[in-house]
Amino acid sequence: MENDAHLKLQAFVDGELPEAEARVVASQLARDADAAALIAEMKFTRHALAGHEKAVRVPESRDFYWSKIRRQIEASEVERPAPVAIPWHAKLRRFLAPATAVAVVAIAGLLATQPVGVVGGTETSLSDSGAFTYRDFSSGTTLVWLSYPAEETLDDED
Amino acid sequence: MLWMAVLVLCLSMTAGSAQTATLKLEAQLLWGTNDGTSPNPKHKPVGPEIRKKLKELPLKWTNYFEENRKSFDVAEGGANKVSLSDRCEVEVRNLGGNKIEVTHFGKGEKVVKQTQTLPKGELLVLGGNAPNSTAWLVVLKHAE
Repeated sequence: MENDAHLKLQAFVDGELPEAEARVVASQLARDADAAALIAEMKFTRHALAGHEKAVRVPESRDFYWSKIRRQIEASEVERPAPVAIPWHAKLRRFLAPATAVAVVAIAGLLATQPVGVVGGTETSLSDSGAFTYRDFSSGTTLVWLSYPAEETLDDED
Repeated sequence: MLWMAVLVLCLSMTAGSAQTATLKLEAQLLWGTNDGTSPNPKHKPVGPEIRKKLKELPLKWTNYFEENRKSFDVAEGGANKVSLSDRCEVEVRNLGGNKIEVTHFGKGEKVVKQTQTLPKGELLVLGGNAPNSTAWLVVLKHAE
C-alpha cells in the first residue's frame, strides 16, 4: 500500500477526512481486506495509547495557551541582543595598538643606530688624564672638567 | 599597518634631513670666582640663562664673568675654529644631526676632543682651575 493511502487511512481513523472522502474510504474498506486490517490495527493502537497515556490538561483555553506561546516567541525575538556598537575610543585603541608597536620598533631601531658614548651619547678623547665628564640631563648641560692647566703652571704665568 | 610603518619611516627621514642645516653656535669664555666683582672692568656678569645652568653643575663658584663671546656658524661636514683668548681656542666640526666634535686648544696645543649631540638650547661646558681658586670655562651653546 502506498504511503499516501496510509496517510488517508490514518486521517479517516482520526476523523479528519471530509465527509465525501470518508464515504469513499469506508466503501473501499469493504473491498480491501489489507486496508481494513490496517484500519483495525490503527484503532487498536490508538485505543491502547489512549488507555495508558496520562492526559495533560492546561489551565488556559486552547486559544489562550497557544497565544501565550506565540507571545513568548515574539518577545524572545524582540529581546535578541542588538549588535553591540563599538565605541570610537575602542576603535581608536584597536587602531593605535599596532601603530604604537610599529612606532616603538622604529624608534628602537633609530636609537640603536645612534653611537653609544660615555655620558649621554658623548665621547671624550682626552690628553688630560685628570679630567672627568659630567652630564646634567635636567638642564641639558655637559661639563668636561680638565686638570689643564696645572695650577702651578698658572702660578708661574702670573 | 603597512602605511603606518611607511609614515614612521618618512617622519624619521624627514627628521634626519631637517637636521642637516648649518649649526649656529655661540662660544663664551667665562671666569668663575667667589668674589662679587671682577678686577677686570671689561668683564661683565654672565647672562641669567647660562648662570642658572652653571648653578646646576657641581661647581663651587658663585659668580661667573664673561671675558669674551663669539657667535659663529658651522656648515654640515665643515669645521670652524674660533679664538676666545690668546691662550684659548675651540674648533667645532659639524658631523650632522646636531652632532658636533669640539676640540679645545690651550696655548695652541690640543687638550681635549669632545664628540656629542648638542640640541638647541643645550650647553657644552669645558673648564678647569685657574689661579687663586678661580676657574676658566668655555661655554658652547647651540643658539636658538
